[in-house]
Amino acid sequence: MFRHEISVLWKRFKIFMDQFMMSRLGVFGLAILTVFISLSIFAPYLSSYSIKASEGNIHEVLKPPSNRHIFGTDELGRDVFTLIIHGGRISLLVGFLATIISGGLGALIGSIAGYFGSWLDDILMRITDLFLVIPGLPLMIVLSALLGRSIWNIIFVIGILSWTGTARVIRSQVMSIKEKPFIESVKAAGAGDLWVLRKHILPNVLPLIAAQMTLQVGGAILSESALSFLGLGDPTHVSWGMILHYAFSCGALSSGCWWYILPPGICIALVVLAFSFIGYAMDQIVNPRIRRR
Amino acid sequence: MGFRSFVFRRSIESLITIFIVITLNFYLFRIMPGDPVSIMFNPSISPEAKEIMLKEMGLDKPLLDQYVIYLRNLLRGNLGYSFLLHEPVFKAILERLPNTILLMLSSNIIAIFLGVVLGALAAWKRGSVTDVSSIILSLSLYSMPMFWLGGMMILVFSVQFHLFPIFGIVTPGVDYSSFWDYAWDVLRHLTLPMISLGVGTFGGLFLIMRNTMLDALTEDYTLTAKAIGLKNRTIIFKNVMRNAMLPLITIVSLRLGFMVAGSILTETVFSWPGVGRLIYSSVLAHDYQLLQGAFLIITILVVLANFIADIIYGVADPRIRF
Amino acid sequence: MSLLNVRDLRVYYRISKGMVRAVDGVNLYMDKGDFLGLAGESGCGKTTLALSITRLLPDNAKIISGSILFDGVDLLKLREDELRENYRWKRISIVFQGAMNALNPVFRVGDQIVQAICTHENIGKKEAWERVERLFSLVGLSPERAKDYPHEFSGGMKQRAIIALALACNPDLIIADEPVTALDVIVQAQILELIRSLRDKLGLSMIIITHDLSVIADTCNKAAIMYAGKIVEFSDIVSLFKNPLHPYSQGLLANYPSIEEEAKSFEPIGGRPPDLLNPPSGCRFHPRCPYVMDVCRRVEPNLIDVGGGHLVACHRVMKS
Repeated sequence: MFRHEISVLWKRFKIFMDQFMMSRLGVFGLAILTVFISLSIFAPYLSSYSIKASEGNIHEVLKPPSNRHIFGTDELGRDVFTLIIHGGRISLLVGFLATIISGGLGALIGSIAGYFGSWLDDILMRITDLFLVIPGLPLMIVLSALLGRSIWNIIFVIGILSWTGTARVIRSQVMSIKEKPFIESVKAAGAGDLWVLRKHILPNVLPLIAAQMTLQVGGAILSESALSFLGLGDPTHVSWGMILHYAFSCGALSSGCWWYILPPGICIALVVLAFSFIGYAMDQIVNPRIRRR
Repeated sequence: MGFRSFVFRRSIESLITIFIVITLNFYLFRIMPGDPVSIMFNPSISPEAKEIMLKEMGLDKPLLDQYVIYLRNLLRGNLGYSFLLHEPVFKAILERLPNTILLMLSSNIIAIFLGVVLGALAAWKRGSVTDVSSIILSLSLYSMPMFWLGGMMILVFSVQFHLFPIFGIVTPGVDYSSFWDYAWDVLRHLTLPMISLGVGTFGGLFLIMRNTMLDALTEDYTLTAKAIGLKNRTIIFKNVMRNAMLPLITIVSLRLGFMVAGSILTETVFSWPGVGRLIYSSVLAHDYQLLQGAFLIITILVVLANFIADIIYGVADPRIRF
Repeated sequence: MSLLNVRDLRVYYRISKGMVRAVDGVNLYMDKGDFLGLAGESGCGKTTLALSITRLLPDNAKIISGSILFDGVDLLKLREDELRENYRWKRISIVFQGAMNALNPVFRVGDQIVQAICTHENIGKKEAWERVERLFSLVGLSPERAKDYPHEFSGGMKQRAIIALALACNPDLIIADEPVTALDVIVQAQILELIRSLRDKLGLSMIIITHDLSVIADTCNKAAIMYAGKIVEFSDIVSLFKNPLHPYSQGLLANYPSIEEEAKSFEPIGGRPPDLLNPPSGCRFHPRCPYVMDVCRRVEPNLIDVGGGHLVACHRVMKS
């Protein structure tokens, strides 16, 4: 049923990729991201050390980097490098899934508000403003605290609190498409709302949604690391935020155990930066507001 | 007509928002999964004490009645009791609020200064080394988790070089001979968290300032200014900056929520005794009355700050007033 | 007395596809007290020419060659700060196209004029403000309005304010780029009346750039017709309107309906404006010229005086 739409989208995607490859920032970000994703996927094969809390080497607690442990060990004797590459899996996963939720929600709300307008738009925009005013992290903290420490709760909480930016952007895009004369003529020819949405609005909005989501993955990763750091993370899963949580809790800071603290933060920063670059490059290509300038 | 009705309208909107926040706060803590009793109280209290608290909080009554009791308590300044700190929630928050405000204000000044000045500079010298390096610098700092940035600063400046104290707002157990000694001690403790929070949050401001400046520089009035014979520096810092700062005021108010997040994390890392740290401690100890109270106060303050920012914008942009 | 002498000016823009030859060998001459009208289609290079005089071109524009002599001094050879302090606004000011946005919306109109005055003259704010009020009266605005912001002015008022701004430092030359195009007809007439009164009162010189010949007829004593980056005809007003020599000028004037004559249909000039990236060879007008000859396609005509100060660049005119 959607075959035609898919082939149109695929062609557009190829054109987009050509343009994307010309952006140095975009390619650079993509390269960094590829490295991290590869490390995450192949984590179990890259290191033989275990990340299980019970399987740490108690003779090698909080040791600085050495030949055997290139990033040193943690307070349970586990290899920090192994923790990092396994932690990447969870951090990236949470980032992706949370952004899918927030992106989907934002696109849905934005499109409905933009397309149907009038009172529906008013209500949805009021709700959006409300979510904008209430500070994000405190609300995430409260929700996580009340829901309990599980990775799905975290994904859910981040997802339902990060959609406002996307909603606004999609809404203005949908509104500007809706105003175009050709929509009027298509409707006069008898097209229903669903048809217009599917054939005309969706293809034009999808690239923008993709760009917005890319820009938001970084934020989701930072939110997850903040929540984990504050003690709201899932104790059964190792993420970069959790590593930092354990590092700070065991006093690695005052003891000067920099090898435990430096790597997770740098990984987070690099990945967030990579997504920002990719998202920025995408935005330059697909965002009509910027293109006009 | 214009300005007064503008203020009036915004006040009503803010009050409505605050009311919604209060209601949200109430229902959030009541409808979450889990036994409301265990959520609200320290699990180790005796069953008799539990009964008394239940009756007092009205937890045995229907939800709507509880809501009314909650509102009544709120108006009397009763936000509940913190079993962690052994004092009323309201008192606990009030004691720590000045510390948070001190930290947020000082770091905001740093962030705004860095964002505005560097943003204007980068826009002026677009494409130059100054521009590109400031973009890279601010983006990198912005991508780092704020608590990690704070931690790294502690590692380097406190642990390694012993330049600044690691924790708290004052050195414990010290008697001060004068106010200035006290102030100096606070300042020493304030430096790292203030710089950490300021530097970690200016990135967004910088990018937006740069963009709005670039936009303003393409406007006709910039060409007029150049034709009049004004120096480039005058054009940038006197004429155009005023225009670019207007959207900045809006953006700053939007960033308030972000700043609050930053202060929670920074206070936790530096053990700064503010409201942010209170949130952290209450989560750790499952002291939900404290958490609820702190969350409410913070959110209301953010709404108020947004309101003030809107008013300032109204004053600054002559077009809005009329 | 010679005021402005532009000699063989070439100004090109660099774009991704190449160089746009916006002003390609322009010669222009003005005496003190002249009101020179510069007419041509959009995109023919008029604004570029105007902006070149005090070097206000955007970054991708380059002045390739030529000289602009103002009162004997070549402005193109001056140092930037010399130009900025002594010539911009002090001796040459500009009334911009689309003056609607030429004023900064966050400052009061009076303050912006005061800033212009104090930049070039060593007088106090109070004195400068008094001059602003005098200028406002001069251009037909109530002096109290100087305390208002630009968005509180109507279109016509803004135009008057811009003219007041242009007069602030008593310049010798004002360049007005499409000063009345964005206004409705009645306000247009008022502004033109204002310009005429200023000409009589102040002994200014002015360059009025427009595509509307009737505006030139109303205010100027000399006119230059520009096409595709070159001046194709130059003369005093009367000669031009009575006896246009260049086919392009003839085409422009032929399409002006006259109230006195019988109604007739328009005869637009065929073809389209040339692409300044790759201008036509020889005479740039030749693809659209009804009298085109073989030499027109190969050789560029020079601007020649055919008598009484009437200059034309046309092979056909040369022949006769």
